[in-house]
Amino acid sequence: MSLKKFQGTPEVQHPDSPDNPDRPGDRVVRSKGEPGGRRRSSAASPLWLVVTKWLLIGTVLVVLAFVVQKLIEQGSWVGVVIAAFVAMCVLAVYGTRHAVPLKYLLPGLLLLVALQIWPIAYTVGTSFTNLGDGHLISKQESIDSIIANSVREVPNAPRYLLSVAVKDGADPATGEAFYLLTEPSGKPLLGDKAGLADLPAASVEKAGNGRITKAAGYQILTAIQVNARKDLNEFAVPTAEGAGIKRVGLAEAFQGKANVSYDKASDTLLDSATRKTYIPRKASWVPKDGQGDTFPQGWKENVGFKNFSNVLTNETLRSGFLKIFAWNMVFAVVSVLSTFVLGMLLALLLNDARLRGRALYRSMLILPYALPIFVTALVWSSMFNQDYGLINKLLHLNIDWLGDPWAAKAAILITNLWLGFPYMFIVCTGALQSIPGDVLEAAKIDGASALRTMRSVIIPLLLVAVGPLLIASFAFNFNNFGLIFLMTGGGPFQDSNFSVGSSDLLITYAYRLAFSGVSPNYGLAATVSLFIFFIVGLMSYEGFRRTKSLEEVN
Amino acid sequence: MHKRAIGAAAVTGIAALLMSACGGSTTVAAKPSTTEAAVPAAASTKAPVRDAAADLVIWADVDRTPIIQKYADEFGKENGIKVVVQVATDVRPQFKDATKVGKGPDVIVGAHDWLGELVQNNTVSPVNLAAADAAKFAPQAIAATKFNGQSYGVPYAVENIALVRNTALAPTAPTKMSDLVSQGQALVKSGKATNILLQEVSKTGNAFYTYPYLAAFAGGGIFATKANGDYDASKVIVNSVGSVKGATELAALGKSKALSTNVDSTNADALFDAGKVPFYFTGPWSIDKAKKANIKYAISPLPSLAGGGKMQPFLGVQMFYVSAKAKNAAFAQEFVTKYVPREDVQMSLFAAGHRPPALTSAYVKATTADPDVKAWFDAGKGGQAMPNIPAMNSVWGPLGQASADVIAGKALPQARFDAAQKEIAANIAKG
Repeated sequence: MSLKKFQGTPEVQHPDSPDNPDRPGDRVVRSKGEPGGRRRSSAASPLWLVVTKWLLIGTVLVVLAFVVQKLIEQGSWVGVVIAAFVAMCVLAVYGTRHAVPLKYLLPGLLLLVALQIWPIAYTVGTSFTNLGDGHLISKQESIDSIIANSVREVPNAPRYLLSVAVKDGADPATGEAFYLLTEPSGKPLLGDKAGLADLPAASVEKAGNGRITKAAGYQILTAIQVNARKDLNEFAVPTAEGAGIKRVGLAEAFQGKANVSYDKASDTLLDSATRKTYIPRKASWVPKDGQGDTFPQGWKENVGFKNFSNVLTNETLRSGFLKIFAWNMVFAVVSVLSTFVLGMLLALLLNDARLRGRALYRSMLILPYALPIFVTALVWSSMFNQDYGLINKLLHLNIDWLGDPWAAKAAILITNLWLGFPYMFIVCTGALQSIPGDVLEAAKIDGASALRTMRSVIIPLLLVAVGPLLIASFAFNFNNFGLIFLMTGGGPFQDSNFSVGSSDLLITYAYRLAFSGVSPNYGLAATVSLFIFFIVGLMSYEGFRRTKSLEEVN
Repeated sequence: MHKRAIGAAAVTGIAALLMSACGGSTTVAAKPSTTEAAVPAAASTKAPVRDAAADLVIWADVDRTPIIQKYADEFGKENGIKVVVQVATDVRPQFKDATKVGKGPDVIVGAHDWLGELVQNNTVSPVNLAAADAAKFAPQAIAATKFNGQSYGVPYAVENIALVRNTALAPTAPTKMSDLVSQGQALVKSGKATNILLQEVSKTGNAFYTYPYLAAFAGGGIFATKANGDYDASKVIVNSVGSVKGATELAALGKSKALSTNVDSTNADALFDAGKVPFYFTGPWSIDKAKKANIKYAISPLPSLAGGGKMQPFLGVQMFYVSAKAKNAAFAQEFVTKYVPREDVQMSLFAAGHRPPALTSAYVKATTADPDVKAWFDAGKGGQAMPNIPAMNSVWGPLGQASADVIAGKALPQARFDAAQKEIAANIAKG
């Protein structure tokens, strides 16, 4: 997919491109195959536009070519195919006169697939696995890692000084490796894949520390050459009883022995030091006799619907669900309503042309929206501190804001009001400005009071524009993990129960459920998030249906 | 794009869940190590991109990077290679994610309590330090680098909490908790102090600071230990007789207002640095700020509790790990086993953060340079390394909350710690 080829295409393709039936005007001015045809057709779209267009297409293709190059380096062929497909789409849609609707839709479609559909598919896929810490690798990798980590230095065995070498004339990168070793006593030894042998002392030269620097018939590898040879990571010079001399770093070797071995026929691991057998169970190696520890390295595997049945039958989940769901609803609804009402009132206020310095006020009101929630939530949480917080100090109160279940809920709603109203303010300001003046004038002529105009004209018109955004805001707040997590961590926790907190949302609750075990369980987390996805989806669907009826009223 | 897209999609997919999984576990579990990293993390939280041209890549936090770079350059010169040290704002999750997609570094610098998770996911490889070299380190530091009897790195610092006091208010160090409380109460009464004692508790509790109380009593603690000294995840001792005695002490301190759930990580340092609190249970990470605030301080061991012994802090060990997926395993092993145990390297690392070096000879040198070092070390004497087994993940939340409830007087020690024991055991059984 060379770049040159793509840049070459416009010159050849454009004049030959078939007439577009959608644009009959073009057909009149353009004559097929004529060299001047291109210039004339650009009379319809000016030259700079055509140039800009191809520059943009070219840029996209250059970026994609760069991405492909990186992907090839990584050997990710699926990625190359996807990138090539995207490049072809771009060329086909923007390089020709076909597919006019796609010209508008393609960027959105690509982003939709990348940011919406793919994550959902990935989450669904994850929910059928046991993915989590301790279950990230494959079974083979877990076996390899357990065996590699079971290598122990043979007690009282000497450490050797090491020079890695190949036979004279052999390729340093691939030739058979020899370990030229020096015992602590100074005696030189030669190790290869067959075993250890003596090396005549006369044939070697040593450095001050005793390390061999030259040996007759051998070529000693440099540090870079040693590092480049990945096969040496596995290489060991066999010694007695299954032990081997292995490399440490660049210039040292030790005698080590792997205590664990794998028996393929019975699919078991055997620890020769403890004489224990380990069998695969629930994607982990567990001791056959049930005594002792499981190996920490488990593997990833499909578990079917286990996560789903786990969620549906989980005792803690069921016991806490209703209470948390109720608060979750209250939190989302109150958050949306309170932010909307405050935002709308401020928007109405600042919509009055008689007010001076409106731009200044408006930009000030947007400020809370511009601050990251991580900062704001933490600042508010410290302002709500019972002893040292600003709020209790200013108001001369002694409320345990974050320690009392009801006060904590109030504190969270207040913080979310602060965080959320600027958004509603922006949205309402925009919607208010789009309400036609004649409607308001008509209301005035009809003698409607300001309140009446507001109730019967402004708000209904406002809701048509803002309604869908309220639903989006509801869906967002329903899963407002960050705020709860940063403010209270789901707490305060009542009745010695750390699994159900007073300010928990379903999402923070699910988080604790999935990640409170020994190892974070992404599979379970994905399953719970799918359930939440459906709950939010259903409610949003219902909400959108209702706003439709709102539009019909008008 | 494909592999990256999977990574990116994984994050967006279980969006908040995954993101906070990383953030959450580190802020709680790696308490002492993340305190310092918290500040630069605000500036940029992006993971570093592995330098493709380098022959050895090391990831460390922002304070240690320039120091390690100096020795990395020396190592590079010696071997004729290019060594790059990159700043990772949150090494643990960034290392895990990058390693999964084959873009991880060869060496990372971090806390020893990450070890269980790193081994579980096969992201670190054993490091075979010669027995003679290992003997040059403090034994508890070497013990902390081991998991199931295998050694996975080389330590460079040991840190623990101690009693830090404001010498303007409290000229002598109390050795008993009862003395500490009565001294503090007198200061509060006379208006010289606002609090008796500072200790991070927060509304959800902090098990890191709870442990010393439990361990002050015989048979108290979190996990029982096996014969070989490893923690035994199947034996949780949170409601043992000793632990409950510790919990009772927490309740008493809550009642006398020495401890409060309103003191947390966001305000504890500021309160101490205001100069109106005599005593503070904290670690070396609070000292720089106190110095800037011109607080005259002294460090002494944690006091002893009535009916028990001295409060025993957790030891946090800082170490160098070698990635299991290291592209340059030979250089990585060489650097970690030959450079990190050097006295000059350990002394330079000591200069950033003043954590007592793990290498005994460097420690001895450091004590002459900075008298605080000996004080921290003495306070940590007899302490056990923070558990590095994955089961500890199940402990932080329930035990922290139990201690917060007991301090707030919301529950009775025995009943509350019974409940915590049950909850922790159930979480561990979940696997």
